[in-house]
Amino acid sequence: MGQAAEVIVEQLVLALVGLSAGAAVAGGLFSFIVELGVIADFADRTHTGDKLLFYETCVALGGIIGNIVFLFYSFAPNAVSFASASFASGAVQVLFGIFAGIFVGCWSMALAEILNVFPIFMRRARIVRYASVFVIGAAIGKGLGAGLFFLKGW
Amino acid sequence: MASGKTLYIKGDRDVEVTKPDVTLADLLSMECSDQSLLPKLKTMKILKFKKTGNQRCVISVLKIIACIHGQYPDMEVQNLGETDMIVTYEDQKTPSYAWHLTKTAFVTAVTFCGAAFSIMAFNNDVDVTQLFDQIYHLVTGNKPGGITILEIAYSAGLMIGILIFFNHFGKRRFTVDPTPMEVQMRVYENDIQTTLIENAARKEKEIDVGKGGGIHGTGG
Repeated sequence: MGQAAEVIVEQLVLALVGLSAGAAVAGGLFSFIVELGVIADFADRTHTGDKLLFYETCVALGGIIGNIVFLFYSFAPNAVSFASASFASGAVQVLFGIFAGIFVGCWSMALAEILNVFPIFMRRARIVRYASVFVIGAAIGKGLGAGLFFLKGW
Repeated sequence: MASGKTLYIKGDRDVEVTKPDVTLADLLSMECSDQSLLPKLKTMKILKFKKTGNQRCVISVLKIIACIHGQYPDMEVQNLGETDMIVTYEDQKTPSYAWHLTKTAFVTAVTFCGAAFSIMAFNNDVDVTQLFDQIYHLVTGNKPGGITILEIAYSAGLMIGILIFFNHFGKRRFTVDPTPMEVQMRVYENDIQTTLIENAARKEKEIDVGKGGGIHGTGG
């Protein structure tokens, strides 16, 4: 086998590995997002169920673009640095932070909900009232935890 | 039955009304062996909401049958639909189109940024970059310099996987099946409805026969 042929085979193997890895990750991660019902919940709460297909497209686009940014950003020549303290970069950071934070917050609580954490605990501890106190406690705890995490640079 | 009149009724589990006076036709679709009775049956009042605010009540189909029997004692009623119905009274005023757009834009931003963040967090968590370096080294024996075919193929594969999973892009559907999120939305609605009905039954707020209740909807 010649040098060129060997390189081609190698590249083909890599391409196959990458393609299958991507498809598998997409199936896993996005069924995880959808099956927890966060977005259906958003659509229901805001009474915008008619835009559900559009929301799905947004999730798909977010996943695709986020992945591309993650993988290729550091390779981009003369990458626009968001570290510079321009107003635009600040705005992007604040907006992305807020929206991603809301999503992750809903997501983590949806995970707790789907695993029946609250009902089981409340049943075991024989608590019948003040469920809202636990919800507020969980929210404040998560917020403080995230703050501590970033503050300490863990 | 002596008279031989049979009324078939079929209702949905979740009904929204905009008028405070709820008639049978608002809740049910009906078919009667005696067609001449239908117009009267359809306009029969079954519930009355207070004029202001959004209200909701759960009514048992038994109560509806009892009301029909109150006027037509020898009517045979066959229920082909749900046994408990959630009736929601919504005030007429619909929120403005701008508000609707604002909410849609908000959810759009959250879902987009959230999905982008999730995939980046996942890639970061499992250290995709290093894993790709290792695979590249395994296959070619060299250290990768810059972007390799692996990253490009992974991005393409991810895109294909997402589109296959969601079964559509924009308005273009790939198959006739509902998308996973549409299924999830119905599951969510179903859960909410079941909860509402069971809550009402447990608190004995359901409008049913033999519980007083009357035909006046209670709020809440």
